[in-house]
This record gives sequence, structure tokens and C-alpha cells, in this order.
Amino acid sequence: MPSDASAEQDREIQALLKDYPMPAASTTFYDQALVRATHEGTRRQRNRWLMTGFGSAVAAGLVLWLIGGFFLTTPVVPVADPNIPGVTMTLEEPRTINLVFASASALDSAMLTVTLPDGIELAGFPGQREIAWRTSLNEGKNFLPLELIAVSPIGGEVLARLEHNDRDRTFRLRIEVT
Amino acid sequence: MRPHFDRLYRLAWRLTGQKAEAEDLFQELLIKAYGKLDTLAKINEPGSWLSRVMYNLFIDERRRFARRRLLTVEEGQMPGDGLADIPGNEDPVQHNERREKIRALDAALAQLSDEHRIVVLLHDTEGYKLTEIHELTGLPVGTVKSRLHRARARLREILTQSGTFS
Repeated sequence: MPSDASAEQDREIQALLKDYPMPAASTTFYDQALVRATHEGTRRQRNRWLMTGFGSAVAAGLVLWLIGGFFLTTPVVPVADPNIPGVTMTLEEPRTINLVFASASALDSAMLTVTLPDGIELAGFPGQREIAWRTSLNEGKNFLPLELIAVSPIGGEVLARLEHNDRDRTFRLRIEVT
Repeated sequence: MRPHFDRLYRLAWRLTGQKAEAEDLFQELLIKAYGKLDTLAKINEPGSWLSRVMYNLFIDERRRFARRRLLTVEEGQMPGDGLADIPGNEDPVQHNERREKIRALDAALAQLSDEHRIVVLLHDTEGYKLTEIHELTGLPVGTVKSRLHRARARLREILTQSGTFS
């Protein structure tokens, strides 16, 4: 049994602990941390991407997005890796990016939506930020060439959203403009 | 993620005990989370998930943070430095007395092992329940309880030896 004195000390310690201070984060810290995380996260993912052997494919303008297994009950190809591949474009110079969707099964009437950041345009669709169309995917690799033009040096992320029945998946492609 | 930032920052501070290290840990968490946005979007309780990721990051890199803490002490900072705006009574005498006790508590906390310090700060300062600490750390609730008990007892011992409590 603790004595009255030690019980009183315990209460005082707990009261002090309750008031034990810590400085708040500076008002700009969260915003700065978010910006740094975006830059650093992208850089690390790009490095990881390059190191895992996809570097040559990216350099050639070929981005391989694996969706195999996504529409199957038992995935046969892992799809959990959220790495964002990146490509570098030259301002005002059209560049064809070949998206390769590798599907483990044929998909009829899938909806594909491409969303572009400000400053990146799809050839033939000037000023349009979102282009959607229905398509069918074969089992195996499906190539989708996108001719992109950087009209400002900002860059950003191209999103490709694939929907089939009640399932969907979004893929991201980082564009840097030099 | 943003609604969880304050709680996560507090956790980072309680784990590391220093502003620079807390900011580093918070930053590391955001970078890690950035690569897991797809996963995060599917999680029911992202705050708990982010807390666990932060705790694991801290454990993985504890050596780095511990080394930094040691360096800070070597640079001449006394325990309690940087403790600003300690809440207390308006009476200046009582305020000073309380401030000194908080400084003594800070020094005592620095003498605890990480295991004990973290549990007592999360429970008694941040108000985490035993089950929340169990979910965060993966420790059995019984272990959390015994660490809490030992941490409090050790604090009392240190504070008595230092003359804070007569």
C-alpha cells in the first residue's frame, strides 16, 4: 500500500504530466512539410522506379502499367505498388507517351478517363482537361499512345482512370517540363 | 490527412522529445504516406494507421533520433530548455514554483528509457487509453500497464532524489 505522502506525490506527478508542455508547430510547418513530401516522395518513387529496371522504358517514353489481376478474384500479377512513373517533356514539343495496360483478362466496354494537369494538352483536344471514352481491353498488353504537348513549364500529374463494372483503378504519371 | 496533423505532430513530439526530431519524423511520415495514398484512401481510420506508421518509423530509426538527442545535450542544452508558456497559476511565485517542477519533470523524463517515457507521456499527458497504446505499439495491454506503473514509480523516485519532492 502506498503511503499518503507517495499517493500525494503520484497525484502531483500526474498533474504535472497532464500540463507537460510542448510547443505547437509553426503556422507554416504543415504546408511546407506537405510540399516537401510531394517533392521528395516523387523523387524517391522515381528513383525506385528507375532502379527496378523500368528506367529504360520510361526514357523511351514507354510506361508500363500493370493491372493484371485487378479484375480477377485471385490476382495473378501484383498491383499494389503505387509508384508513380515520370517522364520529362520539352515545352511546346509534342511527345507520344505509350501507356501499356497489361490485363489478366479481356475486358469489354471499360471506361477510360484521362485527366490532364494545367499546361499539358492532348493533341487534337486543345484546352480539354478531361477526355473519356469506352474501350475494350484484350488479355495481355494493350497499348494506348497519348500524344501530349506541354504548353506551360509547370508540369503535373496525368491521371488515367479505368473503370469496369463497379470497379475502378486510377494510374498516375508525373510530367516534368524542361 | 490534414485533420490528423495536430495529433500526429504531438505524437512525433512525445516520441522524440525535441522539436527538430519531431519535425523530421513528421516529415518522414508524410513522405511515406505520399507513396501510400491509394492504401490510405481505403482505410477506415487513417489517423490510427498514420500513427502506427509514425511509431514504426520512430522505432526503425530510434538509433538516429537517440544519437541526435545525445548531440543536443552535448551542445549544452539543459533539460527543460525550450519549455515555453508553461500553464500555471497567475501568481508569479506559484508560477515559478510550478515552472521549476515542470523543469524537474522534464529532466526526470529524460532519464527514463524510451519504453517507459513514451508510455507515460502518451497515457498521462496525451490521454491515450491503454488499448490505444496497445494498438499503436503492438504491446499487450498488460505490458503497457506495467510499463506505466514502473514509469510513474521511477519518476517519483527521481523527483524525490532531486529534492523536488520532500
